[in-house]
Amino acid sequence: MRLGALVLKRKRWEPFAFASPSLALIALVIVFPLGYSFWLSLQDFDLAVGPDYQFVGASNYVEALFKDPRFLGSVWNTALIIGPSLVLELLLGLGLALLLSRVGRGRPIITALLAIPAMVSPVMAAMAWRMMFGVKYGAVNNLGRQLGLIDVYFDWFSSAFISIVAIVLVEVWHNTAFMMLVLLAGLQSIPQELYDAGKADGADGWKSFWYITLPLLKFTMVVGIMIRMIDLTKLFGLIFVLTYGGPGGATETMAFTTYLVGFNDMRMSYAAALSYVIVGGVLVLTLTFMWVQRYREMRAAA
Amino acid sequence: MAITLERARVVAPTARRYRWRRVIGQALTWIALLAALVFFLGPFYWIVTTSLKGNEDYFAFPPVWMPVEPSLTHYVGLFTRSSGARYFTNSMVISTLSMIAALVVSLPTAYAIARWRFGGGFLSVFLLVLRMLPAIALIIPVYLMYKLLGLTNSYLGLVIVYTVVYIPFAVWLLVGFLRDFPVEIEEAALIDGCSRLRALIAVVVPIIAPGLAVVALFSFIATWNEFLFAVVLTGIETKTMMVLVTSFTSGGTDMFYGEASASVVLGVLPAFAVAFMLQRYLVKGLALGGTKG
Repeated sequence: MRLGALVLKRKRWEPFAFASPSLALIALVIVFPLGYSFWLSLQDFDLAVGPDYQFVGASNYVEALFKDPRFLGSVWNTALIIGPSLVLELLLGLGLALLLSRVGRGRPIITALLAIPAMVSPVMAAMAWRMMFGVKYGAVNNLGRQLGLIDVYFDWFSSAFISIVAIVLVEVWHNTAFMMLVLLAGLQSIPQELYDAGKADGADGWKSFWYITLPLLKFTMVVGIMIRMIDLTKLFGLIFVLTYGGPGGATETMAFTTYLVGFNDMRMSYAAALSYVIVGGVLVLTLTFMWVQRYREMRAAA
Repeated sequence: MAITLERARVVAPTARRYRWRRVIGQALTWIALLAALVFFLGPFYWIVTTSLKGNEDYFAFPPVWMPVEPSLTHYVGLFTRSSGARYFTNSMVISTLSMIAALVVSLPTAYAIARWRFGGGFLSVFLLVLRMLPAIALIIPVYLMYKLLGLTNSYLGLVIVYTVVYIPFAVWLLVGFLRDFPVEIEEAALIDGCSRLRALIAVVVPIIAPGLAVVALFSFIATWNEFLFAVVLTGIETKTMMVLVTSFTSGGTDMFYGEASASVVLGVLPAFAVAFMLQRYLVKGLALGGTKG
């Protein structure tokens, strides 16, 4: 990009003056609290006991990573939700994107309608589905009974397994639209000439999908999956409303366990340590994501 | 001439066959899309109809899929008995203030990055990492600090957090809009003796106003949707809609349906509006968590 000479000529202090309000706010409200939280994670500070604190070094982290079955269980629960959600969102999103790309007139309106769930807050999505899953008055059970599929009212949150299934269903409902939009944009960036050339060489239908669409969509899929994965490690609102971690903690995710440790048990320093473990995970994923994108740019340039 | 005619006769049956295949293909595409629409919009239909049912209707079996006599009782109940009006206002005020503050603070920063490459590549990476930062990492120290400063249960406290948490995303999106803006127009203003700040406000802002609106709408919806900060930092007077709806879950699996569904309808309204207004920008916005606080 070319910048005019005059624009580049500037008073030295100006960029700092322009950028400083937001940087100062970020320093005060994000960076400083993060530092404070790290210091806190090295203390023993329990508001349920009292306002006293004591330096304990890394013992909170040792407890979190090696001794706390509840937190380790929550890591496992989060993985149990993330895995199937990502697979389903990718497949369903890809299917929808392919369908939409075949539609001429009416595509924008259908796309916008399908994208609505992704704009809704997780709390609202979960609330709507809690009402769908209601035992006696929910739409799912009543539809099932009306169609003769079930003869008893089914409690969707009675067992750990079914609860996870229900959470994955809601999560897929909530965020498939995101994958669909990303993949649709990816599909539209594939030049039509490639398909024409493929056709001339006898590639039709499945073949052109397998040898043209999929390879060219690979990076878009990776990017979409990475963003969803980063997002899902923070899963909180959905759990709060749908199950509140139940039954018996079987659906507690990392973020939700941290919340309970901090604001139910009031173990502030331990919750701070847990939140740093989550930050570590998210950081690794984010850096991988940035590396993938740079790799893609380098490939595109070459 | 004769050759063309002959060819046309040969091609005609295959063309008809292809046309049939295309019609069937289109029909199947639309059937599948319709099924998807039912799945993705069905819950909204259930919530809206439930919120309009009278009590006897939602205890009925077979269920009433289409209320015959819609009533607004639950909305009235929500606004009077459950203080819905106050919480709706809270959400509106907090989201609007955070939206304005985030724009005012982010625009100059985005300008510094777009025009002067302020901070080089480092600042962009830093902002992206902040954008990915989980809210759970901030809530514990912010809660303790706010308790010390007396900022819990206040509009100001929530607005500050929302504004700052949203800055990285707003800056990132605004830099894109500013880079698309032709430098020459600005140069003309500067030659006429305009100061930088005036050029930004009087020349750049009116032209990139649509871009600003996009950022503003995303920021509004993100703060409207935010839950973790809201549930921890608000008290009885400052609850937002998100906190209000969760209070209906205490009734077990079959909770208090009427007002709960009415509050969900009000809670998702902005999302519906924004989804249609921002169609072109949905990918960009959703990609970096534009709708998450």
